[in-house]
Amino acid sequence: MTPVLALQAATLADLRLLSPELILVGTALGILLIARRIRRSPVAGRLTILAALASGVSACWLLPAGSADGARSIEGFGGLFVIDSYSQFFKVLVSATLAVVALVSRRSVDRADAPHGEYNALLLLAATGMMLAVSAVDLLTLYLGLELTTLCSYVLVGITVDRQASNEAAIKYFLLGSFASALLLFGISLTYGTTGATEFDAIAGVLADGNAPLPLAAIGLVLAGIAFKVAAVPFHAWAPDAYQASLTPVAAFMATGSKAAGLAALGRISIVAFEPAGEFVSIVLIGLAALSILAGSLLALPQMSMKRLLAYSSIAHAGYALLGLVAGSPEGVSATMTYAFFYVFMTLGVFGVVITLGERGQSLDGYRGLAAQRPVTAALMLLFLLALTGIPPTAGFTAKFGVILSVVTAGHVGLAVLAVLCSVVSAFVYLRIAVLIYMEEPTAPAPARMTTVLALALGLAAVVTVAGGVLPGSLTAWAVSP
Amino acid sequence: MSAYPILSMTTFLPLLGAVVILVAGGGGRARWIGLVTTLSTLGVSAPLYRSFDKGSSALQFVESAQWIPAWNVGYGMGVDGISLPFIFLATLLSVLCVGVSWSAVKTRRREFFAALMVAETAMIGLFAASNLFLFFIFWELMVVPLFLLIGVWGGPGRVFAAVKFLLFTLAGSMLMLVGVIALQRMCGSLDFKALALAGEGIEARHQIWLFAAFLAAFAVKVPMFPVHTWLPNAHTEAPTAGSVILAGVLLKMGAYGFLRVSLPILPAGVEAFLWPMLCVSAVAIVYGAYVTLAQTDIKRLIAFSSVSHMGFVTLGIFTLEQRGVEGAILQMINHGIVSAALFLCVGMIYERTHSREIAHYGGVAKVAPVYASLFALFCLAATGFPGLNSFVGEFLIVGSAFATQTWLGVAAVLGVALGTVYMVWLFFRAVMGAVNPKLDGLALELKPREVATLAPLVVLTVGLGLYPEAVLSYLHAPVAELLGTGGTP
Repeated sequence: MTPVLALQAATLADLRLLSPELILVGTALGILLIARRIRRSPVAGRLTILAALASGVSACWLLPAGSADGARSIEGFGGLFVIDSYSQFFKVLVSATLAVVALVSRRSVDRADAPHGEYNALLLLAATGMMLAVSAVDLLTLYLGLELTTLCSYVLVGITVDRQASNEAAIKYFLLGSFASALLLFGISLTYGTTGATEFDAIAGVLADGNAPLPLAAIGLVLAGIAFKVAAVPFHAWAPDAYQASLTPVAAFMATGSKAAGLAALGRISIVAFEPAGEFVSIVLIGLAALSILAGSLLALPQMSMKRLLAYSSIAHAGYALLGLVAGSPEGVSATMTYAFFYVFMTLGVFGVVITLGERGQSLDGYRGLAAQRPVTAALMLLFLLALTGIPPTAGFTAKFGVILSVVTAGHVGLAVLAVLCSVVSAFVYLRIAVLIYMEEPTAPAPARMTTVLALALGLAAVVTVAGGVLPGSLTAWAVSP
Repeated sequence: MSAYPILSMTTFLPLLGAVVILVAGGGGRARWIGLVTTLSTLGVSAPLYRSFDKGSSALQFVESAQWIPAWNVGYGMGVDGISLPFIFLATLLSVLCVGVSWSAVKTRRREFFAALMVAETAMIGLFAASNLFLFFIFWELMVVPLFLLIGVWGGPGRVFAAVKFLLFTLAGSMLMLVGVIALQRMCGSLDFKALALAGEGIEARHQIWLFAAFLAAFAVKVPMFPVHTWLPNAHTEAPTAGSVILAGVLLKMGAYGFLRVSLPILPAGVEAFLWPMLCVSAVAIVYGAYVTLAQTDIKRLIAFSSVSHMGFVTLGIFTLEQRGVEGAILQMINHGIVSAALFLCVGMIYERTHSREIAHYGGVAKVAPVYASLFALFCLAATGFPGLNSFVGEFLIVGSAFATQTWLGVAAVLGVALGTVYMVWLFFRAVMGAVNPKLDGLALELKPREVATLAPLVVLTVGLGLYPEAVLSYLHAPVAELLGTGGTP
């Protein structure tokens, strides 16, 4: 066999490794083919849920069995792509997010008169991009994955074409997003220029030799480009507008899936590729984390729009999640993974309640007296708000404990104190909603009953939120740093 | 020792009750389920007192299980002589809270009783926890039901009071969280016993920071001067059951924290903070009593008197003497009984008059003699009247304070004197004299259910006054052990 043919055969065999992504892409293309015929039918949503579940199962299936030396990874496509427990953890998380978002989307999409086919296809493609990004061990794969996600998100934000606010938000998001992509690309090209490599391991090898000192600008630009995707301050400006103007499930997807994928990419790149420059990476991450926590908590205070408030809250949570990466230790990365996992479910829960309430859920005033009208919905909202505040025994506390433990271990006690003090500020933000729900009289007629589908999604989120608090160790076996 | 997990059962039975109430508590069933739950919790905990070995300072009825191996944190329960009386207080007061809320709570009963049950689980769990992680979990869990109790079923200023309460306690406990995590990093374990052994090895400058972190949480809960300002709002606006839990148990959690965490684990921290703590306690006693004199709202008056009384507790603890610490613990129990009883009395009459202003009362004794005599008994107990329960604790603390520094003793005696003034003055204005015309036509006398609610507290007030050894006998061994390993002044 000639070398070229051998490479091709190997690459074809590697396609197996892509099966979670291929399932999503295949479904997306299939839906697009019949998009016109299913414009108003829920079938696209059902296909998406099935594809998400299948993709999650195949991601679990692919996880290599642990060998004696503990190395659990398979590389594919000549070192562009890797399957390890780190990537599979996030793939399962992304597919779960996709399934839940598809589950709760139907009514919102109907009401906005958006096309079901295109909507779901874009969700699927965005999730594909997230999966590629979490498996990337090469800067170019990483870029492709992140770009695929962001491009789909631009369109998803603007999918309600006849609403001005949504168009405006999509354009803002697009402009800032392209700027961030340019930063990321510039960082990649600088890195390639100095080290001659785009693979994470090769970059780390060159950096460790010390012969070719990588310009700090390269590291900074790459980190900044990804920080935009997780909406960390000062690269957060797009988030509040984009969340507020887009459909609620789209905002939920951006707040959970995109953020988790961005955190995964940031984690892998900082602990693998830039590991020899750990000190500088750590300084950048401390800055991003501290600013995000501070600004996210403080700016959420005056918000009166629920989705804007959740946007700032997600900015603050991005900061908390970044705390785990500051230490640059495997335990820290594991803490960030745990944080991302639980954060996704409690945030999906909150967004689920917002969707349940329909138009009434958009502004804080709509929550007045909810407990008197819909006690179960109110109790669920209270649970998710407590989890976001980080009060035990909810998963939010487990997550917070883990990242603060890693920060204290790394010796940054001041950062830990800042983080916990800001969580008191955010407690005020979240409990202001709880006050409206429980301690005010209703001013609007009772909202419609929760649909079975929404109840299912909220139930899942609630179970994870409680289980994560009662059994905090349940994720440690899975959340393994690369 | 028993073969079955008696502490876990006592702790989580109320939680189970809360779930049952939420699922099946419709109609009028919520309060019945609440009553059954609290009574059976009291019943389940009975073997604790019967088979407790008072001579031992070790933890008894110990339970332990793997929980979170990654953080080296286990699930651990166990009680010693210091924690056991508080478990009794918490289980007993919960029953009385159900009793007093029987007809007082008219809206959303289901949620109310469920919140009450969750609070009971948190209270018992806090005193039964044998490691710091579990202690912290229950510490935080306590905040949520009380936030709801105050904010949903409270008085006119309830929302402000609830939010203030929540933010104060959360700010303190978040700093404690950093302390917990730092201890975990330094000692590798969060078990109280292991920490007490490892604590000596922590550098003094670290101990000082750790002490400050824990102080932030404990001082807010006690509450110590000057972070007591949430207390008058919360006590005043809370529904009666909420005030009883706040005054009866929640305030004791901070002082219990000093005894469980600060004293045994951070001796160098205690040494560094000893004088500030004593001074702040003395200020709290005198200032608290002085401010109490000026109150015109009965609940607010009792709330401020709590600041003064809890000043005695912290004063006793930080004398670091056997009788001072024992007196402080006894004072905590007694204050739990007496202030709970006073809040119950006020709540019962408030249910009829809907006024908390002292000026709206007067001559209650003429129309409600039984109520007046019970109220008189508890007012006397609050002043530290000999033969009633508070006297013994205050006597021990004052003696210990004089032995430490004369001026501390003087401050404590001044506090007792002012305490007599404000309680007796309250009694004269509200209960004696001519009947206030505003009370005309109101049936003020207590119903049998209400007398039954107060009866256990009457028994305890008189009983512990005559025979304080009933509590003190539990304390001798563990306090001696505590001071042996703790710092010395």
